[in-house]
Amino acid sequence: MTLGAVEWLAPSTLREAIAVRAERGEEATVVAGGTFVGILINQGLLSPSALLSLGDVAELRGIEVAGGELRLGAGVTHRTVERDPSVRAGWPMLARAFAVVASPRVRNQATVGGVLADADYASDPPAALQALGARAVLRSPDGERAVPVEELILGWYETCIRPDELLVEVRVPPSPARAVYRKFRSRSSEDRPCVAVAAARDEARLRVVVGAVAGRPQEFADVCAIAGGREIDAALAAEIARGYADRLEPIADARGSADYRRRVAAVEVRRALEELAA
Amino acid sequence: MTAAIGVDARVTGAARYSVDVERPGMLHAAFVRSPYAHARVRSVDVSAVPGGCVALAPADVADLGRYGCQARDQRVLADVARYAGDVVAAVAAPTRAEARAAAGLVAVEYEELPAVFDAVAALAPDAVLLHPEAAASAEEEVSIGVRPVPGTNVCHRFRLVSGDVAAGLAEADVVVEETFRTPSAAHVPMEPHAALAEWDDGRLTVWAGTQTPFNTRADLAGLFGLDPERVRVVAPPMGGSFGAKTFVRTEAVVAALARRAGRPVKVVLDRAEEFVTLNRHPATIRVRVGALSDGTLVAKEVDCWVDTGAYADCGPGVATKLGYAGVGPYRIPHVRVEARAIYTNLPPNGAYRGYGAMQSVWASERTMDVLAGRLGMSPLDLRRRNLLRDGDRFATGEVMHDVRFDECLQAAADAVRYEADPRGKGLCVLLKGMQTPSRAAIAVERTPVGYVVRSASCEMGQGVRRSIQLMAAGLLGCEPGQVELPDPDTDVSPFDTRTTSSRSTHMMGRALAEAVADLRSNGGERGFGEVRDGGGLDPDTGQGIASTHWHQGAAGARVSVDEETGRVTVEHLHGVAYAGHVVDRAGAELQNEGSLTMGLGTALFEAIDFSDGMVGNSNLSDYNVPALGDLPGRFTHELIEREGAEVHGLGETVLPPVPAAIGSALHSLGLHLRDLPMTPERVLAAVDARDGRAGGNGRGGRDGRDGRDSGAGRA
Amino acid sequence: MTIGIRLNGRHTALECEPTDLLLDVLRDEGLTSVRETCGIGVCGACTVLLDGEPVTGCLTMAGHARGREVTTVEGLDGAHPVQRAFVAERAFQCGWCTPGFVLTAKRLLEENATPSDAEIAEALGGNLCRCGCYVRITEAVRRAGAEMAKDVPPNNTGRKGA
Repeated sequence: MTLGAVEWLAPSTLREAIAVRAERGEEATVVAGGTFVGILINQGLLSPSALLSLGDVAELRGIEVAGGELRLGAGVTHRTVERDPSVRAGWPMLARAFAVVASPRVRNQATVGGVLADADYASDPPAALQALGARAVLRSPDGERAVPVEELILGWYETCIRPDELLVEVRVPPSPARAVYRKFRSRSSEDRPCVAVAAARDEARLRVVVGAVAGRPQEFADVCAIAGGREIDAALAAEIARGYADRLEPIADARGSADYRRRVAAVEVRRALEELAA
Repeated sequence: MTAAIGVDARVTGAARYSVDVERPGMLHAAFVRSPYAHARVRSVDVSAVPGGCVALAPADVADLGRYGCQARDQRVLADVARYAGDVVAAVAAPTRAEARAAAGLVAVEYEELPAVFDAVAALAPDAVLLHPEAAASAEEEVSIGVRPVPGTNVCHRFRLVSGDVAAGLAEADVVVEETFRTPSAAHVPMEPHAALAEWDDGRLTVWAGTQTPFNTRADLAGLFGLDPERVRVVAPPMGGSFGAKTFVRTEAVVAALARRAGRPVKVVLDRAEEFVTLNRHPATIRVRVGALSDGTLVAKEVDCWVDTGAYADCGPGVATKLGYAGVGPYRIPHVRVEARAIYTNLPPNGAYRGYGAMQSVWASERTMDVLAGRLGMSPLDLRRRNLLRDGDRFATGEVMHDVRFDECLQAAADAVRYEADPRGKGLCVLLKGMQTPSRAAIAVERTPVGYVVRSASCEMGQGVRRSIQLMAAGLLGCEPGQVELPDPDTDVSPFDTRTTSSRSTHMMGRALAEAVADLRSNGGERGFGEVRDGGGLDPDTGQGIASTHWHQGAAGARVSVDEETGRVTVEHLHGVAYAGHVVDRAGAELQNEGSLTMGLGTALFEAIDFSDGMVGNSNLSDYNVPALGDLPGRFTHELIEREGAEVHGLGETVLPPVPAAIGSALHSLGLHLRDLPMTPERVLAAVDARDGRAGGNGRGGRDGRDGRDSGAGRA
Repeated sequence: MTIGIRLNGRHTALECEPTDLLLDVLRDEGLTSVRETCGIGVCGACTVLLDGEPVTGCLTMAGHARGREVTTVEGLDGAHPVQRAFVAERAFQCGWCTPGFVLTAKRLLEENATPSDAEIAEALGGNLCRCGCYVRITEAVRRAGAEMAKDVPPNNTGRKGA
């Protein structure tokens, strides 16, 4: 689908990018890999008058570990995350959550920043990043703020990113030793998830985040708190899973009804916890 | 398609398809589609369409009349929109983008009408009638004797009566009755529909991705008031079709645009439009079967409500075939079948690989499993006991010849080691017919370097070109590469009924033999051969000749189930097709694999989601087709051959048995699925039912999806 | 606007907008192996290589390809091991999806000439074939890999040339 005359803004430095963003705000649609924005345009859901491309901003493509914290530039592709030795060594659950997205071709283009900023309910990385306590760094000409994923994603395709802010980096604290990501598909092997579960546990805390069942990743800290510091046995896993099933208000879509999602979520949460404990 | 030996245009990118056709000065078309499932078009305002564009409204084409391959019930542009997506106006512009933008500027006023979305509901006395006047029969070359029921939404009623079914059921020791449902599904050819129309001095030429060049020519000639010889249809190779690209789809609209514009006009549909162009018939099928306690079948009733959507298309033919295929490959003295093709306000349904057989085989074979259970017999033994053999009469009265049902079934059973342990395993054996009556003709002409063969068989990936080349080379004594095979062209290709029904290799092979004999007998320069098969069924009794020969096959499946989520893993799927004589072995194997793969999608997850007649999943993320990772761990198939046999078509044969074989395997685990697809949600509901649990999602609705209708009715 | 890319080995100045899709731009250049099919990046029929890596032609804007290397099957010589293997195994029916599979397989095998079945399924999962040629496609990939493995020098960690 050709758009006709659309303004193409392609800054080559981060400074420039932030300046353009602040100047144009929502009127210029930000595009990184293009895998999400491209779909919206092809489906006729979006007819932007201007596109702010981050593709030339090399500063957004860095990966580093600083002080034990993983820092992923917003322009880093899924494919890079999945294969990066530091990520695989220190955050294997994250590498896996990025690796199970779509296909290698899509992962060659889709970016870390894009998947968070799109806030697509069926994407894998947001739930995984949330379970690992990740924060998104939002920068504007006035400064920056680091927002946990659960505060970044507000609902259906909606984030707290302000019109003068760009998501520039994702910071992930040291990963707990035990972390799992499970993706349940109800149809083809290439389907988007019907239910996904990210779970991570360290001495301080158990986090379980359920993705693909609602507008934003679903986490119930009070249910997880049931675990206390205990070993997770079958009974505890089932109890926490039931707690999640009771609290979830799942959506219905092509992949399953609300009731089915609730039922599978209970099974997948329990299985994730069993995997964590194994 | 083949250039030098070893270099194939498909891997170099040189392959050209119907979407690639271009003509000088051509415009591009875009369609204006009704958002309402049923609405009268009150007015169409094209004043905002830019100059330089051409726009047509229903009034502009009303004089063309109606078309339709079996019932003439479609207008070129709908003055009454009968489904959400029905084309009510069309524009042509210098570029596709401009055309789409212009289409968005056409203002249409609608007056909504009541709508019906379910074939059974469409028969209620107060249901809105989609076509209050029964459409004229198209009296096509292969007339199937359409039987509309006036004053109802039944556009065709097929009946088969053999023996006295009431008496038969009374005699039976055991009678079981079950009702099954199958949803609408999308063909999803990778290449979308494409057509280009050009007028020259009152002659119309259409290049179209189509399986039915002569049918299309006839309909266009009828619409534009031309002798058929003044209409030329050229059929370039297609990037898949599977039945989607049959009969008139976009050709009439582009022809009308081209006539108005005085320039060629081309259309290529986008993926969302593909879901509102032609789909697979949803069906509700009730089977009642009676047997003696030793398993001998004595009586069977099959009642079918076949949702043909807003227009009949070939729904009458599908309903007929679906009806008699539902009898199954069995000896049954008393049979009654009633299959009705029923209008609803859904997109039209038409030819889809299997042509109705999948739906009724699902119902019929699953009922055999239930019956076996009631009799305390093995499902394999029950089937074996009753299979048709050479010399038996089928329910249509015809005598069966060259039947290998027993062999097919046994091969399937052996492949999955059914007799050693049937748990988790299922079987299905089927009978399917080939378009009868039909006619095929072919012409051969010598060239300095070989021969040119003219055939109207259309290439969609099934390999018919290769088959014809191989057969011609064999008969003429040359290399396949020396046989030139131009694209079907109604100006120069001899008449062929159409490229459907897995008939082409068989029919063209016979015609070729005639043509080569003709060539040999008169100087070796040219020859012509034609084959006409008579037959057909009386639509009121179902008696006659359903098929010149039978497509016979079977499938076996071994499954495992995650009973906490309902997810089914097909561990082993095996397909068997009786091939008779194999022309192109690799091609035949590819057709088996393709049919099995498509069958997996049908069985496990493919369904168009409708909500008030609107498609909810018209993209390939929300509608899944099988990917590489969906293949079972063991995925096998075989061709049964017989020395001296004819070619038996097999382009579709092993698709219909796949859902039933998987359903049968689940049945062996106590999980009784009646509706397709067998999604994890439905399987989980069956687990709950088996284990006596109310279940978290219960039986609710057809698949528990909130407020969604998968397009199949309730009996 | 002019956007310079290296297209199938030749420097090419595309006359297009940066927001035009690579799919459309390449087809305008006569490269009809790149095919509009699903419009949302799930089917792989519009796959092209961008700096040697598969990307989705219908979701990639010409502006993102500026200065980079774009490869379609027309840019292979017809005798690439993957192309020959597909022909030898007859790993196609209608052929519409074949270019996407060829390019994706090429990249896979350059990195790993001896992939396991699971690795093949993972790498090719985003390429759909409705005709259902997956078994032969897998065979073709293995066959091509066997040939390409012989050409890889020991300790090779670099990417083979396009």
